[in-house]
Amino acid sequence: MIEAKDLTKKYGDLMAVDGLSIGIKKGEVFGFLGPNGAGKTTSIKMMVGLLRPTSGTVYINGTDVQKVEKGTIGMCPQELMLWEYLTCKESLDLMADMYEVPKKVRDPRVKKLLNDLFLVEKADTIVSKLSGGMKRRLNLALAVVHEPEVVVLDEPSEGLDPQSRRVLWNYIRAMRDKEGKTVILTTHIMDEADQLSDRIAIVDHGKLIRLDTPENLKKEIGEGDVVDMKISDTSRNQDLINELAKEKDVISVVEINGRINIRALNAVAKLPMMMQTVERLDVQVADISVRQNTLEDVFIDLTGTGLRE
Amino acid sequence: MKFISIAVKDFKELVRDRRGLFFILLFPIFFMMIFGFAFGGMGENNTPHNIAVVNLDQGTINSTGSNVNYGNNLTAELQDQNYPQNNDVKLFNVTTTSDSNAKDLLRTRTVDAELVIPANFSDSVQSLINNTILSSTGQTSSANKITSTITISGDTSYIGFGVAQGTLVGYLSQYQQGIVTAITGAQPVQYINTSVQSVAGTSSFTEFDFLAPGMMVFAILLLATTVAAILTREVESGTLLRLKISKMRSFDLLFGGLIPWSLVAGAQVVILLVVAILLGLKWQGSVYSILLAIVIGIIAGIASISLAMIIASFAKNDRQAANLGTLIVVPTAFITGSFFPLPAEYVNLFGHSFQIYDILPWTHTLTALRSVLVYGSGWSVVSSDVIISAVLALILFVIGVFLFSKTRLGAES
Repeated sequence: MIEAKDLTKKYGDLMAVDGLSIGIKKGEVFGFLGPNGAGKTTSIKMMVGLLRPTSGTVYINGTDVQKVEKGTIGMCPQELMLWEYLTCKESLDLMADMYEVPKKVRDPRVKKLLNDLFLVEKADTIVSKLSGGMKRRLNLALAVVHEPEVVVLDEPSEGLDPQSRRVLWNYIRAMRDKEGKTVILTTHIMDEADQLSDRIAIVDHGKLIRLDTPENLKKEIGEGDVVDMKISDTSRNQDLINELAKEKDVISVVEINGRINIRALNAVAKLPMMMQTVERLDVQVADISVRQNTLEDVFIDLTGTGLRE
Repeated sequence: MKFISIAVKDFKELVRDRRGLFFILLFPIFFMMIFGFAFGGMGENNTPHNIAVVNLDQGTINSTGSNVNYGNNLTAELQDQNYPQNNDVKLFNVTTTSDSNAKDLLRTRTVDAELVIPANFSDSVQSLINNTILSSTGQTSSANKITSTITISGDTSYIGFGVAQGTLVGYLSQYQQGIVTAITGAQPVQYINTSVQSVAGTSSFTEFDFLAPGMMVFAILLLATTVAAILTREVESGTLLRLKISKMRSFDLLFGGLIPWSLVAGAQVVILLVVAILLGLKWQGSVYSILLAIVIGIIAGIASISLAMIIASFAKNDRQAANLGTLIVVPTAFITGSFFPLPAEYVNLFGHSFQIYDILPWTHTLTALRSVLVYGSGWSVVSSDVIISAVLALILFVIGVFLFSKTRLGAES
């Protein structure tokens, strides 16, 4: 459905996107996962034709993105892009008019959208008087009022309360499952990418690091658990890492934001060995926890670093 | 008809943004009030009016058979008139000259107004005298009723002309009255007409009368600042990005925006006219004049909104747009003569000489508004200024659409 080849965007000396090549299938939720500043927004802006790439091409259904019919793509931007002095219904009517949706089709569609996104009671409320979560939901509704084939959601959960996030996630799933839409999602929230995406592209520093399903990505680094440890004297972190890395049951050990992440199969059984190593180095544990492997660990394994906020 | 949806959206935003609306409507009223109080009494002062008299009167034979020239008499009377409240100061500085020389003096603003006494002036005065005598003795005569028209001309964009013509019209009616009362004391039949640029004038013209239309043009020019800020806010808030990826064309956005804002310009003319009248504006004209003034205001509004598009093409945020707008609008208001008339500056281009300020649509708007509201002119008098301002506004609109589309509505690079 969408084919991006060697997309590159350069701002002076900064390489925002570096040779990105991605194919997105029809009817899938495709996640762009990466920290802030990784080049996610720049990538999708180029993929929907809002930004000219320095080099590379984007084709949607075989047509150059700059020539593709307007209305094929619906974009829900990261920032709230709303008319503060219009009501929810007026805003949706306006965007439907801008996409030449006939009034007969528009009215029931707007009603359904308001209903699906729990905005019915606020239909005639001025946008400036809505809560943050309501504004986010309206932001999404405005992107899909013309029923586009491709929906691009840039950090849709940013700043959302848990209730609004749940409404949003359900709506995204429904778009794929009931309406067969292709959804492109950018996020730096691991859980969001994991829960919603059929496939995930991990990007950092403008480069595609890995592209696969969440399950495969997690399998790729093994099914081990993660021991997250903090020692009282963090200047000894490297000594401890060197020692633990020598242990044959330890899959990997890295330092993330001053903490030590140790990945190992059946980590609970390996805890005594780890504690012995700590004692041997004459350091003290300040904090320790054991958890299951997550997408974040995949990211850490691939990039050698944690997600930057 | 996407531009209608945009127009409706802009109108709703305009009405619901109470603070913005308050600023747009009240700020010019505030200015009008300052000018009303400051200049309301000015112009009725005691400085002589410089006038050029072109006496074409060929004289006539009076009832005693002598050859008399009332044109010479009128000229002498004009020279002798003093201010009623200050007997030491002459009412007029009279320069007697030819028509072509008078036009030169007008252009250099050496004189405020030119007064042309027609060839049959003495005949009409003699006719007035004869008929007054006949009617005072109970006889009526339909024969020998000769009328003449004294023409007062000058530059309507020059305040000196506004004040001088008002005084002249007042004085000429006094002159006719004087002739009749000298003979019988009766009320005169109109034998001598005056024509000020073919329109009626006011007898007590003040600087405020002259400046009030300038305030209207200033208010309309100020719209550029507000609209530029609103357009830039649409960019900043990202709503323009939404519209940009839709099927909307640049024309829909900009033409749609033009409709409510140009209506605001028309409304401003009416509101400011009411305020000015309350402050003592001696306006001429009728409901037709108001309608004509609204049309002129709308044209100026279109020019202002076009200017706003140009400003919004370059401003990075709404504050910058407001600042840049003020930086452009205030000098433009001065150049167009909204606050006070500037000295005429002619330039020669392609063998034609024209005023450099004439390149701005608002200069013509001001001239037309002043003619319509202060001198009571109709379409025939202001048509050329209205058409020129419309053409210039259209050119500005095309430039605005082009620049805004290029800088704001294309894909980012």
